Amino acid sequence: MNVLDFFAGLQRKGVMGLNERNLRLVAELNPRRLMRLVNDKSITKRLALSSGIPTPELLGSITTSFETRGLKEMLNAPNGVAIKPACGSQGNGILVIAEPMKDGYRLANGRRILFEDLRFHVMNILSGMYSMGGLPDTALIEERVRFAGVFDDVSFKGVPDIRIIVLKGVPILAMLRLPTADSDGKANLHKGGVGVGLDLVTGMSKLGMQYGRTIDLHPDTANSLAGLQTPHWEEMLMMAAQAYDVTRLGYLGADIVIDVDKGPLLLELNARPGIAIQVANRFGLRKHVEPVLERDTSNMTLEERISFGQEVFRDVHPEPPISVDAA
Amino acid sequence: MSSQLHTRLLALALVLAGVLIFVHKTVRYNYPIFPDDVRTVWNLEVLVEFAADNQPVRVEAFLPARGAGRDVVDEQFYSGPFGLRLVQGGDDSNRRAIWTYRFPEGLKVLRYRTTVIEESGNTPLPEYMQREIERVPPPFEGTLQQQAFLVWISNLRRQSADTESLVELMLQEIFSANLSDEVAALIPPLPASLGRLELARTLLQSQGIPARIANGVVLEGPRRRAETVSWLEYHVAGVDRRYFIGGSPSAFFPIWYGLDELVQAEGVTELSTQVSLQPSRLAGNTVVNSRAARDDWIINLFSFENLPLTTQLVYQVLLTIPVGIMILVFLRQFVGVQTLGTFMPVLIGIAFRETALLSGLLLFSLLIALGLALRFYLERLKLLLVPRLAVVLVFIVLCMAFITNLTAESGVRLGLSISLFPMVIITMTIERMSIVWEEYDGMEAIKQGLGSLAVASITYLAMVNPQVEYMMFNFPELLLIIMGLCLLMGRYMGMRLSEFRRFRELAGPR
Repeated sequence: MNVLDFFAGLQRKGVMGLNERNLRLVAELNPRRLMRLVNDKSITKRLALSSGIPTPELLGSITTSFETRGLKEMLNAPNGVAIKPACGSQGNGILVIAEPMKDGYRLANGRRILFEDLRFHVMNILSGMYSMGGLPDTALIEERVRFAGVFDDVSFKGVPDIRIIVLKGVPILAMLRLPTADSDGKANLHKGGVGVGLDLVTGMSKLGMQYGRTIDLHPDTANSLAGLQTPHWEEMLMMAAQAYDVTRLGYLGADIVIDVDKGPLLLELNARPGIAIQVANRFGLRKHVEPVLERDTSNMTLEERISFGQEVFRDVHPEPPISVDAA
Repeated sequence: MSSQLHTRLLALALVLAGVLIFVHKTVRYNYPIFPDDVRTVWNLEVLVEFAADNQPVRVEAFLPARGAGRDVVDEQFYSGPFGLRLVQGGDDSNRRAIWTYRFPEGLKVLRYRTTVIEESGNTPLPEYMQREIERVPPPFEGTLQQQAFLVWISNLRRQSADTESLVELMLQEIFSANLSDEVAALIPPLPASLGRLELARTLLQSQGIPARIANGVVLEGPRRRAETVSWLEYHVAGVDRRYFIGGSPSAFFPIWYGLDELVQAEGVTELSTQVSLQPSRLAGNTVVNSRAARDDWIINLFSFENLPLTTQLVYQVLLTIPVGIMILVFLRQFVGVQTLGTFMPVLIGIAFRETALLSGLLLFSLLIALGLALRFYLERLKLLLVPRLAVVLVFIVLCMAFITNLTAESGVRLGLSISLFPMVIITMTIERMSIVWEEYDGMEAIKQGLGSLAVASITYLAMVNPQVEYMMFNFPELLLIIMGLCLLMGRYMGMRLSEFRRFRELAGPR
């Protein structure tokens, strides 16, 4: 591959770098005063609740070290809990507890943790170890999501989630994020999770990527990543598009998980979603972004925005995902 | 996109302002761009000796004038008991020293000493010499002279194409070895070559060309008794010109203008005047600063010459930091190097100033490794964030003290220079690194640590570069250019070098 082809390819696929994302999307569309709404997950949760977007139930929150006395009671949920820093980023500082056990708790990844260690973890969250800028933070204790088994064949321990990018209220790209042995049960791509491009119209999975390389099979289970149907797809698109109405953030990443009983739940919103989704979709952001940027979406209804996003997506990816060739 | 245009205009304005001031300094004042640029300056001494006989004495001497673009560096007068008065002439740009004494007795010596910067044919004439003047009929009195002038000038007019060639012809005839009768009749009765120069001056003035007679010294080498020479300075067709009898010297220095003698004295006998010259070499920026500091507000605004020396030294370091920052911005926005913290690498780079690069890298790595080990041990004790940071910091100071003792005993100088090595920076680096280590893995932490060290080394090398240091200190207006460049980089939307690797699978033909 010569150098010219290299650049021409990136150009043709409209691959966007971090600089361009920061300037054209984040700086242009996300006013700083609105970022607060998604940087603090407790605010996001409240907003989502008030507008009917389902989220995992909040069992309690801890702001001062004194309140850690009540921690034990909060951990007594039947299905386990997740402890999160309210202002954490990139999934750092999240601890998922499956059940109580002798001398402590069992974590979702099977390891045991002593209550004392758990309390120390909460203290670290409060002191701002995981928060952006090191500011004092709040620990949120949420009901643990019991993940529906749809993606069990392509998950290795942990919770897969779905990331939908919403631009000016229009869902434009989506990917499925799968935990691997490397990622320690987390679905974050930079920790070794697998990203799988989703067809925005059907919710069908395409091919994936891990560590920035395209892959066709899950690295641990060796099952094919393509051709899996995401359940509740329309509902998820609605939730993501609705998140825009709630926050007014023009460039947004909505992270959604599927609970076995409650269906899709909004985990968190991200005001500067990453650009690795381009590799997962094997296509650049720019081609999806530009038609939406040109259009005035302020008077469109939720349904109109979703079908507009799907139109744009279909223009860029004309082939239905089933026939995508692994070559 | 309006913010794009706005940024570009602002950046352009900043860069333009910086470049203009830079050019103003380098072109107008010949400000040296390299630190090892050494200029020759000349120590000029005027010695007046005379015998006095209890009569009131008044000695007048011309001194080099101060004016735009040329100035004397420093002056000393040796006046003995004489009263000294300095007089700045009106627009003839002459400056005079007047020594007076009522009852001097015996042999007296007056001395004036200064340092001057040589002028050459390219030195611009003062502004009033470049103004147009009115044409006036030449002040010849006798009819014979008037007739001679008319004949001669009409001949010249016929032979010339324009004012420039007319002037050239005129000068050629006036200063030719065998004078024509017409010219000979016009030359005023003045000593030596002054007559011809004065004739040339009046004729040029009558043609509307500003002209003056300059008197000064030719600078060729050390002279105990330098002769003063006279030449003609005029401005024709937008060009400053000088006419020297018998060829132009490469370097000279005008002391006064007009037909007077250098020294005039009343009430003295055995007057002797001696001008001596001694070249010496000075750093270029010192010369320019002292010459221009008084009359150019732009240079004053962007100069640290008037600050105390210690403050100057601080600024010498401070002004290089933006260069390091600019490099950092470039490496982050265009290359995509991963570093710990935003400006941390530059701070580490500044810290290297104390230790030099290699020992700095060694020390830094060693302290980070020790600190990380402690940090991982402390993890078991489950301390709160701030006290934990404090413990690491105290540990770092202990390590530094230990290393200093150790190296002092073995006679290595490295230990002594770490005293100011910023331990807070090290502590914060350790904390950040350990968090990365925990959240990702050791490889990622080491990668970011090495990235930081690489950036720190690059910025350090740039910041201690003597040329960079010299340029930033002597041309602080470059800060405007750096600011403009950073503004432009702030609107860079293209890919980072690292992203070409990241998205390489999306590149190339389908």
